[in-house]
Amino acid sequence: MLNQNKANAVFVIIPFYNENTVIREVIEDLLPYNYQIVLVNDGSTKSPYNILKDIDSLYFLHHKVNLGQGAAIQTGIDFALQKGAEYLVTFDADGQHLSSDIQSLLEPLQNNEADICIASRFLEKGMHNATKGRKITLKVGRWVNYFFTGLFLSDAHNGLRAMNRTAADKFNLKENRMAHATEFLIAIKKNKIRYKEIPATVVYSDYSRKKGQSVFSSIRIFFDLVLHKLFE
Amino acid sequence: MTGIKILLTTGVAFIAVYFFLRLRNSIFDIVILLLLIAAAVAFILFPDITNTIANKLGVGRGADLVFYTSILIFWFVILKLYARIRRLEQIITHVVRKDAIDEAEKN
Repeated sequence: MLNQNKANAVFVIIPFYNENTVIREVIEDLLPYNYQIVLVNDGSTKSPYNILKDIDSLYFLHHKVNLGQGAAIQTGIDFALQKGAEYLVTFDADGQHLSSDIQSLLEPLQNNEADICIASRFLEKGMHNATKGRKITLKVGRWVNYFFTGLFLSDAHNGLRAMNRTAADKFNLKENRMAHATEFLIAIKKNKIRYKEIPATVVYSDYSRKKGQSVFSSIRIFFDLVLHKLFE
Repeated sequence: MTGIKILLTTGVAFIAVYFFLRLRNSIFDIVILLLLIAAAVAFILFPDITNTIANKLGVGRGADLVFYTSILIFWFVILKLYARIRRLEQIITHVVRKDAIDEAEKN
């Protein structure tokens, strides 16, 4: 575990939309690490504030209207940079990621081997219990990403990433919805940011399956990407 | 004058009035609009004009030529509108984001 000072400079950004059932567990899991937690409430119909108000040292940001996960992440990044973050981590609110994986993503950054680390459930030692349909979608997604970005990663759409300040400065996500995962890759390629994939676990619970992306939303992501390429 | 001619010219007239009420400030817009209206009315009243143009361009009928060009124009309009929606979305995002950061709370 990092010492206190260093952990203070790590900002964990959690985009949040109506995840009231699990958000408390997710955050309580993160607390022992002493990271700075930035919760970006993306216009949820029910504010999580009441569930979380007794937890100390938590930054709360509220989008007044629902913009999408990409927009929430970018808001968190802007905020964390303003607060002087050294390292920024994006983390899903639905309990898919393990807080213990963050450290292994931070290590290459601290050793100056990479500027951004992206978690992968498909690398060796990475774990997941994805359904067959999802695995196929993610496989197709790899090729779609490769087609759009020139980067061929083992995991197309993983919400867990860690980056240093230099890298975070270069991201300006314009895709408000889910295509931002690919937009990260576009920016990595364009700015020649050093990246590394790190094995990590993705836990699919009944809850996260219900809340998360369906296989069909990948079609929407694809069209968002086509339009992104056309209009940017 | 056949029924369809009356129908179409009335339609054009209504659209023209509507636009004139909204765009009366800019001379450029008015000139463009007048030209378009004149062309539309001319094509409606004398469809043979379009037939002649169509034949010169290698299209069988005037109506087909109008149809093909409309498709092109609609594509253009859709793209323009889409670009504008994206721009609007970005502006909204910017405003909402600024708000969120300015009003950040800490427990």
